Amino acid sequence: MNSADLIELYRTVVTIRFAELRIREHVEAEGFGGFWHPGIGQEGVQAGAVAAMRSDDYLYYAHRGLGYAIAKGMDMAVLFGDLLGRSTGSTGGKGGGTVHFADQSRGVLGQGGTLGSNFVMGAGTATASQLLGDGRVTVVFFGDGAAGRGTWHEAALQASVWKLPVVWVCENNGWALSARFTDQSPTPNIADRAPAYGMPGVIVDGQDPIAVHDATSEAIGRARSGEGPTLIEAKTLRIRGHYEGDRQPYREDKVADDEIPNDPVHRLGEQVDDDTRRQIDAEAREKVAAAFDEALAAPRADPSVIFEAVWA
Amino acid sequence: MASERVLGYARAINEALAEEMRRDERVWMMGQDIGKMGGVFGLTKGLQEEFGASRVRDTAINETFIVGGAAGAALGGTIPVVELQFADFVLTAADEVFHKLAKWRYMHGQFEMPVVVRLPSGVVGGAGAEHSQSLETLGMHIAGLKVAVPATPADAKGLLKSAIRDPNPVLFFEHKGLYRAKGPVPEDPELVVPFGVANVARQGRGMTVVATGLMVGRALEAADRLSEDGIDLEVVDPRTLVPLDIDTIVASVEKTHRLLIVHEAPRTAGFGAEIAQQVQERAFFALDAPVWRVAGTDTPLPQDPELEQMCIPSVDDIVEAARALAAV
Repeated sequence: MNSADLIELYRTVVTIRFAELRIREHVEAEGFGGFWHPGIGQEGVQAGAVAAMRSDDYLYYAHRGLGYAIAKGMDMAVLFGDLLGRSTGSTGGKGGGTVHFADQSRGVLGQGGTLGSNFVMGAGTATASQLLGDGRVTVVFFGDGAAGRGTWHEAALQASVWKLPVVWVCENNGWALSARFTDQSPTPNIADRAPAYGMPGVIVDGQDPIAVHDATSEAIGRARSGEGPTLIEAKTLRIRGHYEGDRQPYREDKVADDEIPNDPVHRLGEQVDDDTRRQIDAEAREKVAAAFDEALAAPRADPSVIFEAVWA
Repeated sequence: MASERVLGYARAINEALAEEMRRDERVWMMGQDIGKMGGVFGLTKGLQEEFGASRVRDTAINETFIVGGAAGAALGGTIPVVELQFADFVLTAADEVFHKLAKWRYMHGQFEMPVVVRLPSGVVGGAGAEHSQSLETLGMHIAGLKVAVPATPADAKGLLKSAIRDPNPVLFFEHKGLYRAKGPVPEDPELVVPFGVANVARQGRGMTVVATGLMVGRALEAADRLSEDGIDLEVVDPRTLVPLDIDTIVASVEKTHRLLIVHEAPRTAGFGAEIAQQVQERAFFALDAPVWRVAGTDTPLPQDPELEQMCIPSVDDIVEAARALAAV
């Protein structure tokens, strides 16, 4: 990765971090209309993988955080609008939670609220690209918990048989709500399941955005050239509860005070010179604050939105 | 006047698929055994030969992918027409049908979802409790899905073409018991049957019978028998349940003053209940008698073909009910 790209990647990672912190501040101070599933500490996976995508590649994100969409270039004021149930959100105010936002122009195709939906949807979108020959790759994010769904098997099998241009990116943060990954997996890694589908399974340090970027870039290259899917497992850690406010009574090794092991922000920041880093930090903080204020100031949706977009 | 020829219901569906794939390169198909084999019921015969294995794809046994993949492929700019081998498998792919297809546009406030799910439906003779159901009412209860229930070859072709051209997801219930039924079908490939327009299959003044799918033919046969007794049935086939052409049904009831609803689906909370309710809301004072239903039993369907027929309305059942209702 050249130094200009590295600096941009740092900017993305730190922007996501400030967004995480701003949202938490809001949730703690004022409560919240939905459940916020914090992705703090996992910014390196989200930013690193998306940085390897082309702007017209397709993205299905997972439920933890907004990092994927920020990295794909969605307007933060719009994203915060979705979170806060504002009419200016990408869903026109039907949001109010972390689950749904989309931007067709940037290939951000959304997420199913029933975890594991993204597997079959993503394989289908990749089928469309294969049929149309449009050269696009679909990247599907999921957690270690969602990997338990049967949809994974159905989609992974067909995607490999058809050599679809799709990349599976698992953020293995060790926890599916109260279930410890190692209690629900017979093998130590999600990537161990890849050989059954005849595809490469790659394990990467999720706290290292550059390593995630490089692994994803290679997988996207394979996908784009017709060699089929890759399963990438990024090892990371859930820092907070399942949702903000979850006291995690089921967890003995809670992370205290945001002590993020191998914090991707610091790890990447060390490779950026101090002046540049300070300037990026200040700009990112300011940009997040302004976007959040803009979303807060926007009106809530008119109730008529209930009846909109049922039909095309 | 447009020319017609006599075609089978299955052949009419095959023709609609071929014509729409010729018309629009974005249209493609997937399902189990639909390519090389041409479908377990032969509906897709010859299509892989004409359009290639890329546009007519055989899948593994994976209904969640067939439907969920179709949803994703629609977002990717194509128009998937997928086949579930039996309509009952909408329950195997329920999350993909009722959440992804039906709600993706709504939840995200954008996108179109031009997907057709072809669903071989209904009793066909010994297929059993999980391969014989009439599940069309499910599509009425969960918003975001259109529902077609064609009863004739011409409607099967014309409604399927409408479905493929619709930017919304459509559940297309083909009755397996009608696949060999023959009827006149227009030649013109641009002739489509619009959704939400009922067909008055028989004009009459004495009683309105609303029926769909296999039951339309049985209602018409019952009408022929009853006409000898001076009971004059008007048979209305809604053709699509979403949208539902309630106006034509109400207009018919205002003329006949009696309504009998016939469906193969189980009686309780079937689409007959909804139609009866809408009619009494709109035309209560036009009714000279209660609205009655002749419907499937509130049981699973036994696999034995003789027992199975006892679970769905027969011509005799319709004749008997209509006679009794006429006397109320």
